[in-house]
Amino acid sequence: MLKYSIKRVILALITAFIIISITFFLVKSLGIKDTSLGQKQSVRHAFFLEQLRLQYVVCFDHPVSGYGELLAEFHDYGADEYFYQKPILEQYGVWLSNVFTKWEWGNSLYIVPDRSAISVIADRLPTSMYLNIISVVVSVPLGIGLGILAGLKKNTWVDHLISTLVMVFISVPSFVVISLLIYWLAFQSGWLPTKWPAPTEPLKEKVLGFIIPVISLSFGSVCGYTRFVRAELCEVMSSEYLLLARTKGLTKNQAITRHALKNAFVPILPSILAEFIGIFGGSMILEQLYGINGIGSLYITAIEQKDYNVLMLDMTIFTTVGLLAGIVLDLSYGFIDPRIRMGEKR
Amino acid sequence: MKKIDDDFNLVDLPIEAQDPEIKKEDFVLQSSDESSHEQRFMTKPTTFFKDSMKRFAKNKSSVVAAGILGILVFLSILIPIISPYDVSTTQDSALANLEPKLFNDAGGFWDGTKKLDHIAVDVSDPSSETYLLPDHDTYPLNGIKGGREGISVGPFEYTNVADKYGIGGYSLIGFYGSEFVNSVSLKSSNPFEYTLDLEDKKFELDLDEIDLTLEQFEVVDLSKIQEEHEDTSLTLPQGYILGETTLDFNYYDKDEKKYVAVPLVEPAVSQHVTPVNPVDIKQKIIDETGVHKFKQFYFSITVTPVEGSPVDANVCGLVKNMVIHDSRQDFVPTEEEPVNPHLAEAEYFSMDLGDNLHGISFDNAMSFIARKLTTGYGVHTQQNRGFWSIGSAKDYSKGVYLGQVRFASFVFDSYAATLGEIEDTLSLSDLINYKNNKWITLYYDWDFNEYDEPYVTEFEVHILNKEKCPLVRDLTVDDVVSILVDQTGRENISVYTKFIKYKYLGFDEMPKFLFGTDKGGRDMLKYVFEGLRNSLAIGVITFAICFVFGLIWGAISGYFGGNVDLAMERLTDILSGMPWVVVMTIIVLHLGRSFISFGIALCLTGWIGTASTTRTQFYRFRGREYVLASRTLGASDARLIAKHILPNALGTIITGAVLMIPSVIFSEATLAYLGLGFQDHSSLGVILSANQDQLFNHPYQLIFPSVIISLLMISFNLFGNGLRDAINPSLKGEGE
Repeated sequence: MLKYSIKRVILALITAFIIISITFFLVKSLGIKDTSLGQKQSVRHAFFLEQLRLQYVVCFDHPVSGYGELLAEFHDYGADEYFYQKPILEQYGVWLSNVFTKWEWGNSLYIVPDRSAISVIADRLPTSMYLNIISVVVSVPLGIGLGILAGLKKNTWVDHLISTLVMVFISVPSFVVISLLIYWLAFQSGWLPTKWPAPTEPLKEKVLGFIIPVISLSFGSVCGYTRFVRAELCEVMSSEYLLLARTKGLTKNQAITRHALKNAFVPILPSILAEFIGIFGGSMILEQLYGINGIGSLYITAIEQKDYNVLMLDMTIFTTVGLLAGIVLDLSYGFIDPRIRMGEKR
Repeated sequence: MKKIDDDFNLVDLPIEAQDPEIKKEDFVLQSSDESSHEQRFMTKPTTFFKDSMKRFAKNKSSVVAAGILGILVFLSILIPIISPYDVSTTQDSALANLEPKLFNDAGGFWDGTKKLDHIAVDVSDPSSETYLLPDHDTYPLNGIKGGREGISVGPFEYTNVADKYGIGGYSLIGFYGSEFVNSVSLKSSNPFEYTLDLEDKKFELDLDEIDLTLEQFEVVDLSKIQEEHEDTSLTLPQGYILGETTLDFNYYDKDEKKYVAVPLVEPAVSQHVTPVNPVDIKQKIIDETGVHKFKQFYFSITVTPVEGSPVDANVCGLVKNMVIHDSRQDFVPTEEEPVNPHLAEAEYFSMDLGDNLHGISFDNAMSFIARKLTTGYGVHTQQNRGFWSIGSAKDYSKGVYLGQVRFASFVFDSYAATLGEIEDTLSLSDLINYKNNKWITLYYDWDFNEYDEPYVTEFEVHILNKEKCPLVRDLTVDDVVSILVDQTGRENISVYTKFIKYKYLGFDEMPKFLFGTDKGGRDMLKYVFEGLRNSLAIGVITFAICFVFGLIWGAISGYFGGNVDLAMERLTDILSGMPWVVVMTIIVLHLGRSFISFGIALCLTGWIGTASTTRTQFYRFRGREYVLASRTLGASDARLIAKHILPNALGTIITGAVLMIPSVIFSEATLAYLGLGFQDHSSLGVILSANQDQLFNHPYQLIFPSVIISLLMISFNLFGNGLRDAINPSLKGEGE
């Protein structure tokens, strides 16, 4: 078990490393678009000096032909400076050594100039995490409750109603739900803020601001859990051991709570655990539409502004979170259900 | 035993049954032939496919979903063909943002009208024509149902929402960071007049004037404003701090021949500043200076930001009604009295508002703030639900706060407003065009006057075809507003007249846009269904490519197993581990935002699902006896895969893959929302994300595409699940 777990983690780390490396090459091959920076000369200059310090670019005091793309030139800082991009493979080596030996992810270029990418992410992460935690806390019990209700009342109108609603809400895209929520709950009725409240706004406004994001984040997972729990419960309810339990003389409630639910939850619990790993991610569309300064919207801004250092770190977080959730999901099966042996040969 | 005997008592039965008499004639041979053959089944033969279809037809919701899907696909092909409107480019601005219209007059339901509430009206000048009317550019009077009488205007309201027509209120001046203007000076209305007055009348009258000015500056506590308006929900826009505030009285000392500044209020940090008491100032002026001593004085209130001071939302510097007058033109410096260096340095804003305390409008205040700001970073203004915020790239914005506005409500018909009878200029080429169509007779002549300028001598337009011609009445020379003659002698005459806009745009009757139009004037009906067609096209094409590739990949991986499988699995692991948003954004950024690059981006990870299903199915079937039998008979691997395993696995694989189409459409829409949608084609996602900013003003522009995409997703999922249940009855109920 331990051996298998270690093996899985190492494999995931290797996968993550390969993925991040590929994205590094893809991102770097986009080039640094100097013209897209609506920044002051001094800020840009500081950025290139920073890049020079991190050894991603080289600097000459005269134009050099055949070295590649000229990224920027400065003439106002004593000597003339011409910045050229290093070959990507060389940058990759530098990047690896920066990250692994010094834990140096570089500075943000545009989003918060001259701040380290780590601190930019650290600023944004709590917002996304709060939202995710609240929505997990809301959606898991709600989803499981609805799923149990539908599963126990299988083929009654309750079940049909819940199943139909789940079907509809799982199909409707999240951006449609978010737009409609903002329109009805915030704009038309004026109950809730139409935008994510700024940190200095009063507490009441801030609390109200959580409602729309939490609803829209919960929608998908409530539907998912309801569907999942209902399917599992239906399967267990028709199993032979439950029939045996009933014939032994257990009441229906006893049979359900002691046998059916316990077994139905074997595949459900791991996915709840994986959900808790997922709180480190951010929903891009929600954050974009509701103006939330989380790491999801940070990713979009980083792509739009080509803020590579932030982009790489953000991407690393997204990838690692995704892989980690997968591992937790797989491993927790073994912990929860002793019948499942991990890493057994086929 | 006894009981049984009682139950089966033969005595009660009829006599025939007791002793059945069986005759030989009762037995007839079915066939008298020597040999007997098996009969064919009398039931109709059925195939697996037919059987599945029968099962599918029993599932009502799936059949309905398939029907809706069929209708959507049909409409997405039909509507772009039959619709007469052009949606490839942006249209005339008169066609922009027209409400959806199905009925001609249905009391507000789908008839092109919209009830508008909370629209600020002009209250600045009761004598003006636009008094109590909403902004003419946005809501022209001819679009308002019932005209002037159709507008019901509410009372004055204090509002946090700054509006063009707000009056009074406070302007906020504060600083955040030190990169911007370091101080702002406010001066008394006109220092020079008062100098003379001061000499004669010994302050009194003037100090009244000064009082007035000084009252205009106060540092206000939020709680006081809330008390004043009895509304605790009032908040200040955050991010403003007022730094050190000083109030100087500055005058020219003739004896010392230099300017002297008298601090009237000691420097203080914003939180502790109290409103300036004019009496104290009077006292100080009397004490420190003589009556005759000063001329050309001014008060300056200097606000200096304190570095690192905390952002405090509750205490803000509010400058009430900035009254700022540039008086430098009036002053001629002499040797005796040079230019006040403070006056020369300070910035002036010409905003002469007289004595009217409520005279400054939000617009003026905004332009003042904007002017201050343009010296720093680029300024952007943005109007969001009537709230103006002016800010730069930095975390910095200013606004006007708590003014008085009167709001009105009315029913607005956007068709009548922009496409009905309007007044505008028409050019000669338009008229010549109408003449060629034989709608009007046109006669004109022009000449040069003595200054060599062209002028129209004669101009006559008579309408022949009242039905077609946009013009409402005949034109005479009085309607001509300008004539230009270019170097080749071609003249261009403009006339200003009433005409009917929809006829001008080439429509025979008032157009009806079922889904309305978007901000570019495109017909939403055609645009949405064209988008649906493109979305479906990319969904189906991607599905086809991914399906074939995934099938081949999964077949090889599942059939051969072992090391081949292991290597291929690791590759899919890596690909599926990559966050798909990352993969797609990078590919789209590399290849541009075209149809093909989207296809490639979506295909790159799209096949993994099909591949893994195929692989599982092949694992399941490859060890079966019939495969083994075929292999022993010498069948090749390719034959085994294609003829023996694939047909058995295909049903499961296809049903799993059909749901890829909606997920591809969804992915494309998501990408569009992240700002990476198609550039050369419309799609549902592109339309939705492009119209996102219209959510508050024109929600229909989002609702129609939203309904279509939701309908598409729901029916695709229902259809896919039904298909899966029909083809694999054993899987029924899974994932429902």
